[in-house]
Amino acid sequence: MQVKIVIGTIAFMLTMMIMGFAALREPTRLEEYTHAFEGRSIENGAKIFEGNCATCHGMNGKGEECENTAGEKIGCQGLPLNYQPLLCGDISDRTARMNAMNWAGTKDAFVESVVAAGRGGTAMPVWSAQFGGPMRDDEIKNVVAFVLNWENDALCDEELPTFDWPTLADTFLTDFPDGDAANGETLYVSYGCSGCHGAPDGSIPANVGPDLSAIAVDGGTRIEDYTAVMYVYESILEPNAYIAEQCPTGPCVGPPSAMPANFAERMSANPQDMADMLAYLLGQ
Amino acid sequence: MTTFVDQVREMGFKQAAIAKADEAVERITAGMNISDVRGALRGDEPRRPNPRLRPHADGFWLHIRPSFYHTEVTHFYPTFRLGWLSTFMFVWETITGIILMIFYTPSPLAAYNNMWNILANVPLGQLMRNMHRLGAEVMVLVVALHMLRTFITGSYKKPRQFTWATGMILLVLTLLLSFSGYLLPWDQLAYWALTVFLSGAEAAPAPAAVNENILLILQGAPSLGAGGLLRWYLFHVLLMPLLLAIFFFVHYYKVVLHGFSLPPGREKIGEDTAKRVPRTERTYFIPDILTSELMWSALTTLFLVAGALWFWDAPLEHHADPIVTPLHVVAPWYLSWSQGWLKLADKTIVVGFIPLLMVAFIVMPYFEVGKSRRYADRRVGLSVAFLFMAIMLVSNWMGSPEYRVESSAEQEVSQEILPQEGPSVLLGVPYEHMAPGTYLPGEEVAGNPHLTEALEEFQAAMYRHSCHVPGNQNERLPREWDECEIAVLDSGDKRYGNFFKDAVMPDPYAELVIEEFQPNLLKLTLNYEVVNPDNPDEMLVESDWVSYRHADSNYEEECRYANKNC
Ligand code: HEC
Ligand code: HEC
Ligand code: HEM
Repeated sequence: MQVKIVIGTIAFMLTMMIMGFAALREPTRLEEYTHAFEGRSIENGAKIFEGNCATCHGMNGKGEECENTAGEKIGCQGLPLNYQPLLCGDISDRTARMNAMNWAGTKDAFVESVVAAGRGGTAMPVWSAQFGGPMRDDEIKNVVAFVLNWENDALCDEELPTFDWPTLADTFLTDFPDGDAANGETLYVSYGCSGCHGAPDGSIPANVGPDLSAIAVDGGTRIEDYTAVMYVYESILEPNAYIAEQCPTGPCVGPPSAMPANFAERMSANPQDMADMLAYLLGQ
Repeated sequence: MTTFVDQVREMGFKQAAIAKADEAVERITAGMNISDVRGALRGDEPRRPNPRLRPHADGFWLHIRPSFYHTEVTHFYPTFRLGWLSTFMFVWETITGIILMIFYTPSPLAAYNNMWNILANVPLGQLMRNMHRLGAEVMVLVVALHMLRTFITGSYKKPRQFTWATGMILLVLTLLLSFSGYLLPWDQLAYWALTVFLSGAEAAPAPAAVNENILLILQGAPSLGAGGLLRWYLFHVLLMPLLLAIFFFVHYYKVVLHGFSLPPGREKIGEDTAKRVPRTERTYFIPDILTSELMWSALTTLFLVAGALWFWDAPLEHHADPIVTPLHVVAPWYLSWSQGWLKLADKTIVVGFIPLLMVAFIVMPYFEVGKSRRYADRRVGLSVAFLFMAIMLVSNWMGSPEYRVESSAEQEVSQEILPQEGPSVLLGVPYEHMAPGTYLPGEEVAGNPHLTEALEEFQAAMYRHSCHVPGNQNERLPREWDECEIAVLDSGDKRYGNFFKDAVMPDPYAELVIEEFQPNLLKLTLNYEVVNPDNPDEMLVESDWVSYRHADSNYEEECRYANKNC
């Protein structure tokens, strides 16, 4: 019996020592698991993004290269997400996109709210099951974690080029007189115009924005005193300035227009793109 | 009535305090004062009348325990302490379970996150979870072994038939208790195991209307969701433990009433002398059995804590997803035999057979009325028991992942290298060693033993799922596959097999591509290409399998455990 008491006491003390050892290790372990949870959330998000978002935003989130489910290249309908104005905040973590959209909450909540509720009047669908979309809350959280994970120093430290767009197309064209229509056609796809306005060769019809094949003529009829060039130039830079009447699925909605208002920013790096685009759209 | 103050006046403070303490101890132990307790611990002879019997007579906790045992049944044989251990495990599960309950909400919106919260925010939370889950599996094992021992020692025979019958009910309750807890993490493992189980309930040999309503009761809605989770949670924390406690007391009451059966050779055939214990053969509960039980409690706790901390890790897969069926759905091992049976016979037959089998077990002692408990006289009974066990083991193996319905060869390889769930050798490679690039199976990466090891594993998996067609013009990469066993199907297509499987890839090409995808996020792709050996223009297989790996996801940690395959 005495032996049993001794064995029992030793076993009990060993158990307490093991518990003590485990307790000492706990702070590190908890931290590891917190990170592991975030890491796996991002991994899951990547899968979800690949399956649901890449068709419109591009697998690399740049909004430049999109493929449909059959693996064919299509124009991107969505905005870039791997993108400084969306991800990089100022000192109080406010981003350019939050300011532009008058968002009062945090950055994470901004992204989460767009993903969960979609953006009315645009092609961005509703995703959360709470609002009638297909995804559970945890899936929304995962894909948002993935989108936010694009933020990094290189992206945020990059100087975004700015370009002072002249109000009038003619002024612009005196600075950039030589538009390359062939390159314009490439850009029309890579900027994602074809995702909404239809492929240049007509293989994919216009589905969000009006068909642009006759814009060289129609453009001149939209606003009084506007030539087609002036109109197209303004339509690209400020989609909200004038909302076209007839979209493929019915009357166009807006303002705000379903056409992203960020091409002015995106073309600033290379204003020649605008000249090429105009040459392509108006020369055809 | 003398008050404490009176006592202090009478004998001084020190003496009065000692007398008071003595009185308190006597009340708490329901009859033993301080010197009695010391005497018992020291192993002295008790005074007369024996104060060590009073806790049994007057105390609540010990009144259900016998005050002495036959010395013959206090050794390791014949009980192996298995009945006691079953009781211990039930108490263990109750304590760890209550702690987990504090951090758990039975809702599909919260349950899975609760699990991660327990792992990532609750101090010692992972240990608690591991201990509870390990305990659940150990309890099933222990109860089954206890049943086996009572069978082998013939303890189910008259007058203990009813003890056996209540024991069977306890076994079923233990299985249900363990299995109802399975759903609670609301991960893929849980969700699909329960879905398979419930689809069984639907196939019971009864009118469809009955089955449908049973299913409705079991899952609370036409499909498993919030209502179902709440129900299974309540089964798990309320109904099953309550039933188990009730039946435990009935079981134990009968055990004490009849006395533990002596080892079969120790009494005359047909006699039951367990209750007639000569004075010289008595081992008293206080102190001998009590210290022995305390020692076993301490040892079992030690093993379970150490096991849960260092050797075993409770699984947690991805969030439950009703739309995504995992490649391999597996039942917990203790129900694996039923999955094995489902592969042999029609569902309705199996589902109808299992309750019949349970009833047969319950009533068995009332029909098996052989008088002798001795092994030599029970050759037939013992042989049947061992045959049954052998059948169960084989069925269990057939229901296990080893013996599963195979998906296509390249998916099986992917599932080994980059499984849908859980860690693998490749996922266990430290993140900084996952150098971006394109790698072939079995390739040696200079200066990178971790990745090399994973690629060896890739090669080994490919080897098991590939074969070589001699003279194949379309061979992409000459690798050392065994020669194909070619079978021509009725459709005219050929099927290529090897030593391991019927359907494998003839002269396949496979690669692993590691790409930097986001800050701290890698994209891992397994590409497979198999050209038809008879027709260079036809691809038999052209597929890829994508997985992502984050720097912090820490699969390395999981790989340290004995129950993880990497
Ligand atoms: C059918 C095309 C389409 C799909 C699919 C799509 N989006 Fe969008 N998304 C858009 C469009 C168009 C916008 C721009 C809305 C606007 O103009 O304000 C947008 C905007 C966003 C924004 C806000 C960007 C900003 O700067 O305001 C986020 C974040 C976003 N999407 C994330 C996602 C995620 C995550 C998914 C996948 C679950 C997804 N999107 C799927 C079309 C799509
Ligand atoms: C997310 C979908 C989308 C993308 C991407 C998009 N647009 Fe649009 N676009 C629209 C919609 C919707 C309208 C009609 C509403 C309006 O006028 O703002 C429109 C209108 C136009 C118009 C006026 C058409 C008319 O018939 O009056 C022009 C020109 C135009 N877009 C050019 C472009 C060019 C060039 C690009 C690429 C740089 C582009 N769009 C990208 C959706 C899109
Ligand atoms: C939760 C499950 C169970 C608990 C807690 C439990 C507990 C006990 C305990 C404490 C004993 C005392 C003897 C010993 O330690 O071996 C006992 C005896 C017994 N048990 Fe169980 N038991 C359980 C399940 C079962 C099962 C599944 C069976 C068989 C179907 C069974 C059949 C018996 C029989 C026949 C005895 C009498 C043994 C004898 O007198 O030697 N019990 N049980």
